[in-house]
Amino acid sequence: MEAELFEAMRNSILDGDEELAAELAESVLAENLDLNEAMNEGFLKGIREAGDLYQAGEYFLPELVCAADAIKAALEILTPALKKSSGGAGISKGRVVIATVEGDVHDIGKKIVAAMLTAAGYDVYDMGVDVPADRILQAVSERKPDVLGLSALLTTTMQEQKNVISLLEKEELRDQVKVIVGGAPVSSRWAELIHADGYSDNAADAVKLVARLLG
Amino acid sequence: MKMQGKVLNEEELLRIHKDSIRILEEVGVKFPSREALSLLEGRGAKVDWDRQVAYIPEVLVKAALQTAPKEFVMGARNPEMDLALPSGWSVYNMDGCGVNTLDFSTGERRSAVLQDVADSARVFEEIGLCNVYWPPVSPSDVQNESGGVVRTGISYINTSKHVMDEVKKKEEVPYLIEMCKAMAGGLEEAKERKLYSVTYCTVAPLCHDEAMLEATMELSGFMAPILVYPMPACGTTGPASLYSNIALANAEALSSIVIFQLASPGVPILYGSALGVVNLRSGMFLEGAVETGLQMTATSDLGKYYKLPTMNAGCLTDAKEPGMQAVLEKVLTTLPLVLVDTDVIQGIGLIESSMTLSLEQMIIDGEIANLCKRIKDGVKVSDELDFYEDIKAVGQGGHFLKQKNTRAAFRTDEFYQAALCDRNSYDSWIDLGKPEMFGLAHKKVQEILEGEMKNPMPEQTEKQIREIMDEADRKLNEKL
Repeated sequence: MEAELFEAMRNSILDGDEELAAELAESVLAENLDLNEAMNEGFLKGIREAGDLYQAGEYFLPELVCAADAIKAALEILTPALKKSSGGAGISKGRVVIATVEGDVHDIGKKIVAAMLTAAGYDVYDMGVDVPADRILQAVSERKPDVLGLSALLTTTMQEQKNVISLLEKEELRDQVKVIVGGAPVSSRWAELIHADGYSDNAADAVKLVARLLG
Repeated sequence: MKMQGKVLNEEELLRIHKDSIRILEEVGVKFPSREALSLLEGRGAKVDWDRQVAYIPEVLVKAALQTAPKEFVMGARNPEMDLALPSGWSVYNMDGCGVNTLDFSTGERRSAVLQDVADSARVFEEIGLCNVYWPPVSPSDVQNESGGVVRTGISYINTSKHVMDEVKKKEEVPYLIEMCKAMAGGLEEAKERKLYSVTYCTVAPLCHDEAMLEATMELSGFMAPILVYPMPACGTTGPASLYSNIALANAEALSSIVIFQLASPGVPILYGSALGVVNLRSGMFLEGAVETGLQMTATSDLGKYYKLPTMNAGCLTDAKEPGMQAVLEKVLTTLPLVLVDTDVIQGIGLIESSMTLSLEQMIIDGEIANLCKRIKDGVKVSDELDFYEDIKAVGQGGHFLKQKNTRAAFRTDEFYQAALCDRNSYDSWIDLGKPEMFGLAHKKVQEILEGEMKNPMPEQTEKQIREIMDEADRKLNEKL
C-alpha cells in the first residue's frame, strides 16, 4: 500500500502534476506516513529521475519545469513537518535565491536555472523579475542563501548585476553568499569584472557551478 | 514574372487578424505607463489600472491602421541612399544589440567596442542592397546612460545611409533630434527627411516596457518611423504553435501601432517581427531555425495585409562562427522573405543568434542578398529577351558566343556574377591558392577599411555631431 503511494508520488513529479503532488503530500500528513521515506522513495526520487531524463535528452524543457513546480507544490505542504522531524533536515543541498534584476522583465532563463537547481535538490527561492536591489539585499539578509543568482538579458540591465554586488559589499553581506550571474549578454569576463563568483551560459552548467561553489 | 511566395492565404490572414483582435479585446495588453493607459482609456479602451492592462477594441486598431501612412521615405544623410517604402524589392539592414565581435585581426571573439560600430558602418556603406544601418553591437567601452546616443552619432559619421536604433529612455530623445537637425539643417527639415528611425520591441507575452514605451512615444512626436518588433518564442514566451505564436505577435504589433498612432497620429510604422522557436531542451531562442524563418515570412504576409511597409528579421544563424551552418541557415531565413516581397530584411553580418558581429560575414551576407535577388527577379519573358532570331541564325550545331545579344546579355543582370563563389576549374583554384568565401570576404573588408571613406560627413557637421555626443556623455551620466 505504502509502496504504491510512494510510486504515485514519484509519478506525480515525473508527470509534472502539481495538483496530484500536493494532494499526495497532504495524504502523507493525514496518514502520518514516514516523512523521510515519502521524500526519498517518492517525491525526491521523481525529481532526481526528471533531472536525469532531462540530462539524457529524454525530457524537454516543459517537462522539467513542470516537474520542478510539482515538487515545489509538495514541499510547500511538507516543509513545516520536515523542519520538525529529526531526519528531515538534510533534504536540501543548499539554499538559492534567484532574481532577474531591476529594469529587466525577462523570466525564462532564470526560471530554467531555478527548475534545474530544484531538480538537483536545492531549495530555490525565485524572486521573479524586475526585482529592485534593496529587495534582493533584504532577501539575502533574511533568508541567508548559500547562493544568489542574478539574471539580466539586456546590455543595459547587466549593469544592475554590478550594482547589486556593490551594494552587497557595502552592506557587508557579500562574504556570506556566493553570487552567480547569467543572461544572454553576460560573459565570464563580465562576471570577473563585477566580482561575481561564477557564470555559466546554460542551466545544466549552472547546476554544476553551484555544486562546485558549495563543494 | 518575378518569383512569388506566400505563406498565408486570405482566409488564414483574416483568421489570424481576428485571433489577434480577440487577444487584444479579451486578454488585454500590459502598458506599465500612466501616460499610455490614459491615452488608451480616453479613446475607449477598457483599462484595469491595478494590473496596468488595457483591453483594446477593434475600432481603435482600425483607426490606427488608417492613420499609419502606407508609404514614406526613410531619409539618408546622402539623399541618393534614401529608401522609399514600400521598396519594390528587398533591401537589408543590420540587426542591433549584439555584444561580441569576431576581431578582424585575430579572429577571436571579444567584447564589442565603439570602433566596431564605426568599422561595420564603413563596410555597410559599401554593400549594395543595404540601406538601413542599425548599430549591430552595444559597445562595452562607452558609458551606459549615453551609450545609445554615442553609438548613433558614430553611425552617422561612418555611413551616409539611413540609421535606425533603439531608444531606451526619454532623456536620449532630445540628443537624437539635435543630431538630425545638425544633418538636415533645421527641425522641420529633420522631421521631413526622417534620417532616424527607431526599433520598438514589446516584451512577450503581451507586455510593453515602461522606459522604452515612453521614450518611443516621446520620439513619435518627431515623426521618426517606428519599427514594431514583437519577439515571442514558441513554447516559452509564446504559445507552442507557429500559427498561434504569430497571432500573439500580431496582437503585440497592433497594440504598439495603436499606442503610437494615438500618441502621434500619422507617425510612420514599419510592420516587423522577430518571432522564434527555442532549443527544446535549454529554452534558448533559435534564430536560424527554419520555423523561425517561416514565422517571419508569415508575418511579412500579415504586414502586407495591413498595407504597411515590412521589416522582418532574416539572414539569421545560430552558428558560432562563419561557415557552413551560418550560410545554410542564413540562406534559408532570407530567400523566403525575399520571395514574399519583404521590404527590409534585418539583418546582415551577425552570427551566434545576433549576439556576435563579423565584418566578413557582412560581405558574405551581401552576397547571399544578391543571389536571392537574382532568384526573386525570376525568368524575364519579354520581347527584349526573345532571342528567336539567334536560334534561327545558329541553327543546328554551332554556338551562340558570337551573337550580339550574347555579348550584350553577358554584361546585364540576366547573369549574376557571384563575387565570393569560386567558379574556377580545379587546377586554377589550386593555382589561385584555393580561394574560399571567408578569405575573399576578409580581403574585401580590408580594402574597405584601408581605403578612403565613401561619402564622408562634412567636417562642420561631424563637429556638431561629436559635440552632441559629448554633451550626452556629460549630462546623461550625471546621476551616476
